[in-house]
Amino acid sequence: MIGASFGVTLARAQGGDESAFARLFRDIQPALLRYLHVITPEAEDVAGETWLQVVTGLAGFRGGEDAFRAWLFTIARHRAIDAGRSRARRPAAPLDLEEVAERYLSPDAADLALDTISAREVVALIAKLPPDQAEIVMLRVVAGLEPGDVGQIVGKSAGAVRVASHRALRRLAELAERAGVTR
Amino acid sequence: MNPPGASSSEMPGFPFPGRPGGEHDEPLLDMILGRRALPPDAPPEIHDLARMLAALSGPAEPGELDAEPDVRAAFAQLGPLSPPGRSLEPLGVSHLVRRPRGHRRPTQHRRSHRSPGSTRGRVRPRARVATALVATMAGLVIVGAYSGVLPGPVQRLAHATVAAPAPHRSGARASSTLDTRQGTRRPPQTTAPDHLAGSATTSAGGGSPTPHHPSRSSTSPGYHRTTRGCGLDPWWLVPLPTGESGYRGPLSWAQPNHCTGPATTRPSASPSLGSY
Repeated sequence: MIGASFGVTLARAQGGDESAFARLFRDIQPALLRYLHVITPEAEDVAGETWLQVVTGLAGFRGGEDAFRAWLFTIARHRAIDAGRSRARRPAAPLDLEEVAERYLSPDAADLALDTISAREVVALIAKLPPDQAEIVMLRVVAGLEPGDVGQIVGKSAGAVRVASHRALRRLAELAERAGVTR
Repeated sequence: MNPPGASSSEMPGFPFPGRPGGEHDEPLLDMILGRRALPPDAPPEIHDLARMLAALSGPAEPGELDAEPDVRAAFAQLGPLSPPGRSLEPLGVSHLVRRPRGHRRPTQHRRSHRSPGSTRGRVRPRARVATALVATMAGLVIVGAYSGVLPGPVQRLAHATVAAPAPHRSGARASSTLDTRQGTRRPPQTTAPDHLAGSATTSAGGGSPTPHHPSRSSTSPGYHRTTRGCGLDPWWLVPLPTGESGYRGPLSWAQPNHCTGPATTRPSASPSLGSY
């Protein structure tokens, strides 16, 4: 999170300052990629399309940092859905999220340790959750969005988002314990 | 019967996972989700979960910022200060999303929504051409029908359906033709020729239908035979009599029996036809 200087950074980026835009990119891109790795097997493609849309729509954006993140992750989700539809029309072998997680990283109990666990390894664990729960956890934890914002993105109420995120965290704790990450 | 929605305190030991207050760890989970510090006396598994999720929102890992040069290039070319109307392809921005696995570029992705795996994109131009052909042919048929140049059966069908002129027959016209000069339907030529116009009543009033062989030259422009509901019977709907008169000619206007009485004649209302 950029914090208090976000407004200035955004204004400079909207004025054409490339370094300011790069700062926005470096702040959000890791979270965006991690989120997309959970919801689509074409995370890098979708991330690129997302940033293209952000670039073209940046001048018209109004709002703070939370709104900017919500806007960007909404774009990313729509592009991921589009990619999923396009993939469904292509004659290809089915690819589920678990397979994506395995490809992204195969969490091996011997390799996983809580002190050294990486974001990729956690993403691989979260990708084993039910898809709606995994997405909500990523939007809450990685994107840092409030339940209301997440609800608007995924089409649920804030209460439903809260319930789903709690269930997801409990399930994630079980998975981590099974994988030997936690006690 | 108890109303639905019993509280958890009414049923101790029965879990309600989704209900607020139903789980003791929910405040702690909310603290994790809100990135707030956990109390020291929180269960160790909650602490482990928090540490795991903290790694999830950690700094960028190797490879996650590889696309920065491409995004910056895209910003320079398409950003707020870029000239309007610039497109992606000629500027080389497509490599922004270049993938080692050879996936599509974004502009192709949009287009590919219609084409891969479906035939919609290929069928549309063909459908347009087919529609244009059908419309052209329909127009030609209609023009031909009103010009009276279609083959007999087709012309007859057009006559019945769209009020086109009846088909031409050898030496004569059909019973009901469209007077193109007046735009009105002209009754069939069943009366006597001009030189017999004055005796039309006599010839028709003999009690038996007199076979007529109307021809183009035998029209009686000043007179129409008015048969009160009999004169407009289409000739193809009335079977030709096969009595002693034999063949009455292709344009014989078969009259029902009640029409065989004395036909009256009156001056035509059409001034252009009033040649007498």
